[in-house]
Amino acid sequence: MQMNVWTKLAALGLALSLQAHGAGLEPRAKLEAPAMRAVDLQGQTRSLADYRGKVVLLNFWATWCPPCRHEMPSMERLRRSMAGRPLEIVAVDSAETPEEVQAYLKTLDLGFPILLDPDGQNTRRWKVYALPTSFLLDGDGRIRYVLKGGAEWDEGEALQAIEALLAEIGQSAGR
Amino acid sequence: MGFDRMVKFLYASAALLAFGAQAALPEYRSFPAEGARLLLWVSAERGRAEPELRAAEKLAAQGVAVWSLDPAGAYFLPQLPSSMDAVPVEDVVDWLRAALAGGKTVTVYAVARAAVPVLRAAARLAPVERARLCMLLMYPNLYASAEARDEIEYLDVGRLDGLRARVLQPRRSAATPWLPLQLEYLAGQGAQVSHVILEDLREGFWARETPMDHEIAESRRLDALLLREMESEACR
Repeated sequence: MQMNVWTKLAALGLALSLQAHGAGLEPRAKLEAPAMRAVDLQGQTRSLADYRGKVVLLNFWATWCPPCRHEMPSMERLRRSMAGRPLEIVAVDSAETPEEVQAYLKTLDLGFPILLDPDGQNTRRWKVYALPTSFLLDGDGRIRYVLKGGAEWDEGEALQAIEALLAEIGQSAGR
Repeated sequence: MGFDRMVKFLYASAALLAFGAQAALPEYRSFPAEGARLLLWVSAERGRAEPELRAAEKLAAQGVAVWSLDPAGAYFLPQLPSSMDAVPVEDVVDWLRAALAGGKTVTVYAVARAAVPVLRAAARLAPVERARLCMLLMYPNLYASAEARDEIEYLDVGRLDGLRARVLQPRRSAATPWLPLQLEYLAGQGAQVSHVILEDLREGFWARETPMDHEIAESRRLDALLLREMESEACR
């Protein structure tokens, strides 16, 4: 009987742990986000402050990186399915030239902003050591999840995490 | 027998006796050549790839002897970065000494995490031995920890005073923005550091699952790349 209780507790703990770490998302305790200033493909300067009040999926990627390319369509599907909701997807190309990025983007129809980080300054400031690396930021601009590696962003645990952060915005707006 | 040859003979004999006693040389493939250079080729944790063997053969045909070591294969280790940290460093020290004992100009070429046991072995050499080596490190992975938003921690590879270390960094790599920090770390360990960026290439370009056309072409020219780097100012 005693064993049963412990077994159940262990199973519950494992389930909670899997839920928290599903899709490889690592939760962070409302970590302050570093600055991000970069130009987009139109030459316009963007910063994270532009997206305050929204959940932000900030994705560091490169055209040469197969898992980065693989997850891009799911990010676009997510953007389309979330139209009208306070979610912004921002993809920061790490340490490549605008020409390299533009050549690749001709093959895709993406509606979210692509920012350029040709000298890797933002990559270093955000301490990104692997590509892709993604950050989920809450409406206050704080880092809530980190994911090293690719994901299908429009389904499963990744989508659940985004929905949970969107729900927080909804709750604070309703207060 | 001239004095120089006598010294070389005694040095080689002493070294062979030492290895006989320890019997700990890692298993490696030898591509003999008559030239004055010896390249110690240490493959990455993923094992030795076919283009590496072809390049070794080509180098030997051009007079550069090659000893090719696949650490994961030699020690029956899983093909994982962490396995490289388990390679017996003393064996690698013996291997380096065996190479130096032959009297040729020795260049070490280590890929990815395989740089770790090689650097650690170099750190255990006598300064005079270490100064005779030049190391070509292809995108060396020296991270102890590299988690997003945390500071990088490098593994302790030991003091490398006098060692010439040249990092070959493919441009298309997540490590490229961090190259200055890595060079700083190696210099801080005492190495004489230089680097070269390999434009348009990705890490392990000779063994990618879906290689680009120019990567296939470059993998066929690996021998030329290594020859150029062996003869570069940093290694000469």
